Amino acid sequence: MSALALCGWIALAFGAGTVYAVGAEGWFGRANLAAGALALAAAAVRAALRARGASASAFRGPLARGAAGVALALAGGVGLERAVTATGVRFDWSFERRFELSEATRRALAELGTVEAILFAEPLDPRARSTRLLLGELAATGRLRVRERALGEAAEEEDRFGVAGSNTVVLLAGGRSETVDRPTEGTIYEALYALRAREAGVAYVMRGAGEGDLSDAAPGGYSGLAAALETEGFRVRELVTATGAEVPDDADLVIALAPRRPLREEALAALERHLARGGRLVAFLEPGAQSGLEPLLARWGLASPDALVVDPASGALAGDPPGVNPLAYSYATTHPIARGLDASRMTFFRRARAFAPRPPEPEDRVQGVVFSSPRAWLAEPGAAARDGGPPPRPAGAEEDYHPLVAAGRYARDGRETRIVAFGDAELASNRYLRTLYNLDLVLNAALWAAEREPDIAIRPKAVVSGRLQLPLPVPDTFTMFQGLGLLLPEALLLAAALAWARARSA
Amino acid sequence: MDEATRDAARGVAVEARGLARRFGAHVALAELDLRIEPGEAFGLLGANGAGKTTFLRLVTGFLLPSAGRVAVDGRSPVDDPRGVSRRLGFVAETTRLYPELRVRRLLGFVAGARGLAGADARRRADEALARFGLEGVADRPVGHLSKGFQQRVNLAQAFLHDPPLVLVDEPTSGLDPLQQAEVRGALGALRGRRTLVLCTHDLGEARALTERVGVLHRGRLVALGPTAELLGGADPLALFRGERGAA
Amino acid sequence: MRPFRALFAKELVVLFASPLAYLALALVALVTALIFFDHLRVYNQTLFLYASTNMRGFDTGSVPDYVNLRDTVFFPVMETLGITLIGLVPLVTMRVFAEERARGTDELLLTTDLSPGAIVGAKFAATYLFVAAMMATSFVYPAMAIVQGGLGAEHLAAVFLGLTLHAAALASIGLACSAWTGSQLVAAVAGWAVGFVVWDFGWVASFQLVSEDAVRFLDALSLHLRYGSFAEGIVSLGHVAYFVALAAFAAALARFSFVWRRVSGG
Repeated sequence: MSALALCGWIALAFGAGTVYAVGAEGWFGRANLAAGALALAAAAVRAALRARGASASAFRGPLARGAAGVALALAGGVGLERAVTATGVRFDWSFERRFELSEATRRALAELGTVEAILFAEPLDPRARSTRLLLGELAATGRLRVRERALGEAAEEEDRFGVAGSNTVVLLAGGRSETVDRPTEGTIYEALYALRAREAGVAYVMRGAGEGDLSDAAPGGYSGLAAALETEGFRVRELVTATGAEVPDDADLVIALAPRRPLREEALAALERHLARGGRLVAFLEPGAQSGLEPLLARWGLASPDALVVDPASGALAGDPPGVNPLAYSYATTHPIARGLDASRMTFFRRARAFAPRPPEPEDRVQGVVFSSPRAWLAEPGAAARDGGPPPRPAGAEEDYHPLVAAGRYARDGRETRIVAFGDAELASNRYLRTLYNLDLVLNAALWAAEREPDIAIRPKAVVSGRLQLPLPVPDTFTMFQGLGLLLPEALLLAAALAWARARSA
Repeated sequence: MDEATRDAARGVAVEARGLARRFGAHVALAELDLRIEPGEAFGLLGANGAGKTTFLRLVTGFLLPSAGRVAVDGRSPVDDPRGVSRRLGFVAETTRLYPELRVRRLLGFVAGARGLAGADARRRADEALARFGLEGVADRPVGHLSKGFQQRVNLAQAFLHDPPLVLVDEPTSGLDPLQQAEVRGALGALRGRRTLVLCTHDLGEARALTERVGVLHRGRLVALGPTAELLGGADPLALFRGERGAA
Repeated sequence: MRPFRALFAKELVVLFASPLAYLALALVALVTALIFFDHLRVYNQTLFLYASTNMRGFDTGSVPDYVNLRDTVFFPVMETLGITLIGLVPLVTMRVFAEERARGTDELLLTTDLSPGAIVGAKFAATYLFVAAMMATSFVYPAMAIVQGGLGAEHLAAVFLGLTLHAAALASIGLACSAWTGSQLVAAVAGWAVGFVVWDFGWVASFQLVSEDAVRFLDALSLHLRYGSFAEGIVSLGHVAYFVALAAFAAALARFSFVWRRVSGG
């Protein structure tokens, strides 16, 4: 290779690299491209002249044959590539193709009988590819028929179903229809549930002591929870506790969303009576709050010291100091509430308190369901962070698994009382309900409490576009990096040192 | 007796007709006519740059001739490179071996590269180790050996397949007197049943190892004749200056 | 075949006995680890950020579609790795032919039963095997994420195939450059330069004299266009044929270098 050719390639590389990196050629890129092209052209001419000058007739044959071999390889290669490309043969091994339908979706389809799905899409809409794969997977269950319409082709149908744009799916079952604007497994699942129109019972949500507001659509509100409960088939009603009224007999479930003010004695007494006659309660607490729910829960074996769970394994999340927002991936796998949850399906708690489950009666079953990591401890609720680090660990505070969610079953007068207690209410707020698997945890707790265990399932993520938006467990990520991530290169460098030593000593 | 065995028994002829090689304007070899008989020990002498190595490279086929032709046992290295390579062993001027390979593995590799089968290759490698006194260094990397031992390895690889023609280029260049004696002894022991072409500018070496010599001067054959005759004169170096000859 | 196998085995022995081979493997593993885990860390943080009020993640009804494992981690890692390999692979290929030429051992090889085609074939094959081992080493990290994330073995296979074909293409370029020089440094620099040029032919459009058809044709030959679809899990036979054709062309160029040397003597 001549020096001129090498310099030409270098200049061309810098020119090409500039265009690639910057996206447009400035003077630097242009100058290098021009200089590189000229140098290579000059080198080629020189080589050709050299070949000609050096060519005894005896050389021409071998040179010509060699050059012909190169030309043939080039032409043959281009021809092969063009021919194979023209066949269009490709294998789709993407994980999008491998939608694994959630249990909840399969169940919804099974309950509905045959469902028809119509996909309205523009021919070249790339989003429709993912939708077609999803509908194909749903159709493979044998319970969904799929039709496709080019957008604009059936204006009457589009008007009837309110189709506003491309990549819209309309689901039809039992004379009813649901239109899904952004089809993902999650949104299709919700539409199927809406078509199902099944009753899961009546859920009364307490109001009057500063609890979370189900009608509030702000990030701190709980309108999302209300919508999710309704999707599950609950009829959601308010229970105003200020009047001290009894919990209605038709209540399948009572939900207490972290009252900020102390509940009235009458309200607590009414709640106690509801539980004593086999009632169901899902209670959300917050660290630092004294609403009166805490002693009630303690009487039912779900005592919760007023302390903040600090879990250093969770790192710094949601803009807060490290550890104050536990990321939970340890579950009581035998409990129905935690069915389907595991280390890769985490739940996120925003400042939580823990529980110390202890059955009040021998035959009662009270246990933790969701736990912090074993490195967590309990700190004062108002404990401040220390210079960007987690809040200091109080003397005597031990590291342990701390239950962030606990549940109890109690046999009372021939009936069964069920209580689920959460150490954090924000995980059910609009801001965090659809983070990770919070939605599944909250809804499954409600379904378990309402004794609708067959409906407990892991739902498709409403936020997922089929492309997996789940973070991998953070502690595992760091362990992986420090372990294999650095260990492997280190091992290879050691091997290099050994090879060098062996070569030297031989 | 098959052809290979027969060839091994008597060596093969090397014939050049009008053989020439130019590098640009420089004439490295000019219209060489030469025949080396089967079984002959032939020396090709000349000063540095006279064209000795170029001649060997034309015989091996590493270079293409600008004009003329060369044949080994009637086979052209241009048209039948494999036929020629099977009949020759080449000992290059500087040891062109793989310094990171151990001696035994290197010989095993060369045997395999010459198409020798597994057990046969191993046997020949072991024989070569014994023949050239390399058993003591068989498991050492070539790069760790002295120049003398490296040259022995160089010789060993050339004789692995028992070729009827051996081309040797300056085998004792850069060796001390003891090492030179060892190498000459090894070469001398191998004469007799094969054609040997020895390129050297060492007159003593030529006298010891060859029967006939040719002298190149600036690419031309300026002298050709029996070794004793050509190198027995008062001023054999005159040949290197191109001053007298019988080509 | 025996001479081919002998040279192939020798190449592997020399490769894996050399400290440089392990150094190259370590570099690739380390670079991949750093790139991959950094992207993974940012991805995890971004996902949580979108759950906060500041980013108004909930108001949009969802986390944006592009914040997902595939688009935020795998694609950028593959892209970065693709460019990084342009710099690393020539370090492996630079010595393959150039060292033979510098030592003069190519002359030894050519006096055996090995034809120039067999020499090129054996060296290419051994280098491809080493490159595949290099990719397997670096692929441990994305593989762990794919398995943990439940993306599926098929997608894993597609990504690995794309990485390996890309690395093999760069190796082909590096080997062709190594065949035309006796200096390992020149071989490495040429390998980098040619690799960058072929990575994206978009720069051809800068030359007004070049027709649009030619620009489109050359653009279709760009390495990075061929490589990207594998990260999506799409294995296009046309792209596989492209890499095969590139290897064949590079091998033909390397083989021609032997003819050129016989003619030029240098």
